[in-house]
Amino acid sequence: MRSLDRMFEQSSRLLAQRTSRRSLLGALGQLLSGAALLPLLPLARGGRAAAAAARPDVNNPQSCDYWRYCAIDGFLCACCGGSTTSCPPGTVPSPITWIGTCHNPADDRHYMVSYNDCCGKTSCGHCDCNRNEREKPTYRPSRNNDLNWCLANGDDSNYHCSVSVILGVVPPGS
Amino acid sequence: MRASAIMFMALLYLVAGVPARAAPASPPPPLQAEQLSVQKLPPASAHWVYVFDEAFFNEIDARIHLFDGDSYQRLGQIDAGFAPGVNLSPDGTTTVVATTYFARGSRGTRTDVVEFTDNRTLHVTHEIVLPAKRAETIPSLFNVAYSADGHFVYAAYITPAASFGVLDPEHGTVLGEIDTAGCQLVIPSGPNRVSSLCESGRLLTVTLDAQGHEAGRAMSEPFFDTDRDPVFAQGIRSANGYAFISFLGEVHEVDLSGAQPRFAAPWSLVSPAERGVWRPGGVQVGALQRALGRLYVPMHKGGEGSHKEGGTEIWVFDLGTHRRLARWPVAPLGLAPLVAVQVSQDEAPVLFAASTAADVAVLDARSGRLRHTEKHLGQTPWMLLN
Amino acid sequence: MRRPAALFAAAALATQALAAADPRIDYTLFCMGCHGAEARGVPGKVPPLAGAVARFMRTPEGRDYMLRVPGAANSALSDAQLTAVLNWLAERDAAAGEAAVAPFTLAEVTRVRRTPLADVPGTRRAVIRGLTAAGGAAPALDY
Repeated sequence: MRSLDRMFEQSSRLLAQRTSRRSLLGALGQLLSGAALLPLLPLARGGRAAAAAARPDVNNPQSCDYWRYCAIDGFLCACCGGSTTSCPPGTVPSPITWIGTCHNPADDRHYMVSYNDCCGKTSCGHCDCNRNEREKPTYRPSRNNDLNWCLANGDDSNYHCSVSVILGVVPPGS
Repeated sequence: MRASAIMFMALLYLVAGVPARAAPASPPPPLQAEQLSVQKLPPASAHWVYVFDEAFFNEIDARIHLFDGDSYQRLGQIDAGFAPGVNLSPDGTTTVVATTYFARGSRGTRTDVVEFTDNRTLHVTHEIVLPAKRAETIPSLFNVAYSADGHFVYAAYITPAASFGVLDPEHGTVLGEIDTAGCQLVIPSGPNRVSSLCESGRLLTVTLDAQGHEAGRAMSEPFFDTDRDPVFAQGIRSANGYAFISFLGEVHEVDLSGAQPRFAAPWSLVSPAERGVWRPGGVQVGALQRALGRLYVPMHKGGEGSHKEGGTEIWVFDLGTHRRLARWPVAPLGLAPLVAVQVSQDEAPVLFAASTAADVAVLDARSGRLRHTEKHLGQTPWMLLN
Repeated sequence: MRRPAALFAAAALATQALAAADPRIDYTLFCMGCHGAEARGVPGKVPPLAGAVARFMRTPEGRDYMLRVPGAANSALSDAQLTAVLNWLAERDAAAGEAAVAPFTLAEVTRVRRTPLADVPGTRRAVIRGLTAAGGAAPALDY
């Protein structure tokens, strides 16, 4: 998400002068530029490890229990020749999407996740997964996963599968 | 052989007609040559149900299965293309399908159409080509809908901007498109009013002139809070409008019979102890038997984010008193959780329910007694029309 | 000096409300899904915000339009959040070389967004023609 890096880094320089949220800006900028790569494996630390162990598939991208899939609806591209961040070969990513906020048990943070659809081929038919944390009906499109988000792709608007791309951390209290 | 043995054998032949040693009987007459025909539908019945099957695993191949809730026979099929909106005409004689086809099946030039099927023959009679803007979303009564007098058909558009097309079903033409400024879906009322659900919790109502062009519009006051307790977009037809059920189980009855929508005070499906614990859920989240005033809602135990889970119980309410009359657990009936319910409007009503296992159950709507389970009526049956 | 103190107090409260809203998070959660990570929209389907917001804000009609489009008027963003997001987008435009414009005030947003537009495409066209006639850069008519 290079373009997102540019947008956020540029604005953070401006806004840092006006708000007192430098630490947040720093962390967000670092995260997006990859300077601070957070491990996604469960950390062996007391309570968090216990919770992760109770749902062993919470870190498996081919399982519906994967923590990032908290508001996904459709087939997991990770089971269809793609991954959480890539569309399967021969499909066309949707430029429009819905956004979820999911809790990562590994670091106890909430992340904004973009559920772009991969389009232009018929239903993948594998790894169907529908979770709806903080999902809202169709009249709040930015939080709705019922819409075929391939809809703006013109001729390539058949629905194949969905990805889940991390956009950034949601500060507590948002 | 001894005489008794002979007697015994003779008796056997007489009684049992054992032919082994008798003269061979003449074979039955040959089957007659047959004539191939096309099955005629019986006259429509109040206990017919149109089972909309999204066929999500083969989404370009959605269909509607027509099922007889008395004979438990599958009567026929209406094809429905890709992620369609479907509905019935007010007089029930036509099924309207708003759908999408790609020129090469799964790819190629996209064409959006509204197709009309004669429910007496299940033939597609005509189609209207739409701009490629059709709302491709979860089934509801408000993706495509007729005006109350059958004069207009409205097709919701999401591009992702929100608008709707106004169609003339009789002449097969697109009359125009009305921008709804972000508010979604087409909730018809009267001969010429269309309401849409807004993120702000308001209802936008557009009034049309005789040519299907906008004559005016008005925004209601908010009647729900999207952040705290949104309503399912799937509405339930009531005597004078629709009832909208919220995620936490509030019932918002909206009277659309007048020029302005009127909102009754919401009432709750759940007690304070049950709130947040028992929730409505599924796709078609309720059905109303209008004469009896009975509301049927699939309910499940779950937390935030469980609003699409199927009901493990059907809760039955009296619309007048708001009292819960019954709870019908679903597992003892051999059913998986329910994602859609519908009820017939005749004097001996039947309740239809579609489960996550793609079974459609037929129940007595008064007693909850299970009459029949039709296994695998479709791949993913998510909405029931009648 | 009573009045200046009250004004300062009001201004401080307004700033506090704005600072509490994080416009980048709000943009991501409420706008980015359709308008895109770079706010460039989708040709023919979703209008761009980048390079457009600051231009709309140059005239009263343009400012009115920005606050009454569905994404603004009907959205769940509070008045303070909406003010912050729009001003943040305008600042991005300024950083990219657009002429700086007076930021939206909380009072302005609160007052105008209450009446959503009925005819969005028609109003957009009329506003853009007005901006063009007034001289200087206007957002593209088509997108």
